[in-house]
Amino acid sequence: MSLFDKFSGLSQARAELGHHGIAPVATPIDDIISASEGIIGGRRVVLAGTNNYLGLTLDPDVIDSARTALEHLGTGTTGSRMANGSYHAHQALEQELADAWGWASAMVFSTGYQANLGSISALAGADDYLLLDSDSHASIYDGAKMSAAQTLVFKHNDPENLDRRLTRLGDDASRALIVVEGLYSMLGDQPPLAEFIEVKRKHKAWLLLDEAHSFGVFGQRGLGLAEQHQAIDGIDFVVGTFSKSLGGIGGFCVSPHPQLELLRLAARPYIFTASPSPAVIAGTRTALAKVLDGQHLRDALWRNIHQLYSALNDMGYRLGSATPGPVAAIILPDRQTALAHWQGLLEAGIYTNLMLPPATPKGLNLLRISLSAAHSEEQIGRIVRAFEGLSLAA
Amino acid sequence: MSTASNRIHDAIRESLHEALPQIGDIDFDAALTSDIGLDSVQIMDLVMEIEDRLDISIPIEVLAEVKTLNQLAGKLDPIAVGTPR
Repeated sequence: MSLFDKFSGLSQARAELGHHGIAPVATPIDDIISASEGIIGGRRVVLAGTNNYLGLTLDPDVIDSARTALEHLGTGTTGSRMANGSYHAHQALEQELADAWGWASAMVFSTGYQANLGSISALAGADDYLLLDSDSHASIYDGAKMSAAQTLVFKHNDPENLDRRLTRLGDDASRALIVVEGLYSMLGDQPPLAEFIEVKRKHKAWLLLDEAHSFGVFGQRGLGLAEQHQAIDGIDFVVGTFSKSLGGIGGFCVSPHPQLELLRLAARPYIFTASPSPAVIAGTRTALAKVLDGQHLRDALWRNIHQLYSALNDMGYRLGSATPGPVAAIILPDRQTALAHWQGLLEAGIYTNLMLPPATPKGLNLLRISLSAAHSEEQIGRIVRAFEGLSLAA
Repeated sequence: MSTASNRIHDAIRESLHEALPQIGDIDFDAALTSDIGLDSVQIMDLVMEIEDRLDISIPIEVLAEVKTLNQLAGKLDPIAVGTPR
């Protein structure tokens, strides 16, 4: 008997995937050439699986801001903001986030994962309810696990199914926090946000929208799906991350409710961890300004999205979402076909993501592509030609 | 078996047949994962189906200690008693 016995299934699954050259899980990236190119297995590849939607990771202004903060403020904050001091720049970033939405309050967390963990676990307490979309990210499920609230799950993107669950709660629905995402990163699909807001209002419940994959991508100022649908006033809390469109690491929760400030005293993933490093905060502040003023970046991203979706549809691939978006999920019939596609694309110089059950909805075997404003037309063309090569080889 | 218990077993049976049409006869002592072969996502889908068939709400915290269908039925019994069909 060993503590490690329970991992035997995982160990076997890893070994099966690792038999075929470069590992599709935790793929080693030897070097980064640009926001859209890197070196894998000693070869130059197009990065089409890094969530770098606006390509800001190597933006010179973002790097300059981070470097200046690194030199002036040092490598880390060495502690929690509650216990060891709250830097001016962290507070300034929170004000800038609150101002972006025109809302009362914003909190910065050390990762996007912790932003969901801290917000959800603190907002929903012992006498409250959490209503989660069944396709929610692990950070949302883990936030529910950490919360003392009762957690109910409703069918993915199904407002009527949510309505039934809230109806069963009766008056208690006013103590229910509904959690949906602006873009589901496995299938790349979007929620029917207006309908969810209608159900929320009918039951006087609360709505948290996770814009991790939609922030920077949708809306005139890049605020996300709620801005795109002119539905910001129907949302109570927006959670987001710095690690995708903003190109850094960290997360945030922003709200029109000034009482969000009380979470600083209650959210354990905020209190009991070190705050983000000064360089990360400074880089994120510059990146945030670029996102808000970044229509040209969104125009470039959406050109690439439409080009790739159109080509994949023409080739007859089954996609996770009929509506184009920054994630293109190709549904493949089985594990072997998905793995063969991932390897074939890598051999053709394209790095994508292999997503297998149980990490995927409905047991689907997926090849996932994330697009970037940094992808050139020529790089999108290379991705398309690589797929055409796979179709010919099949 | 009480009426509520019958309703619960029927709902579990029907929901499982819908999720796994090839399953055949259902052994309620079978383990959800190791015997029936459901993964965590499929268990969640099964629970949502049962909820709607019985018109009850099943908090996912209830599932933490559930390994077999009979254990699942036992957890649902107090929830389902007195609820309309």
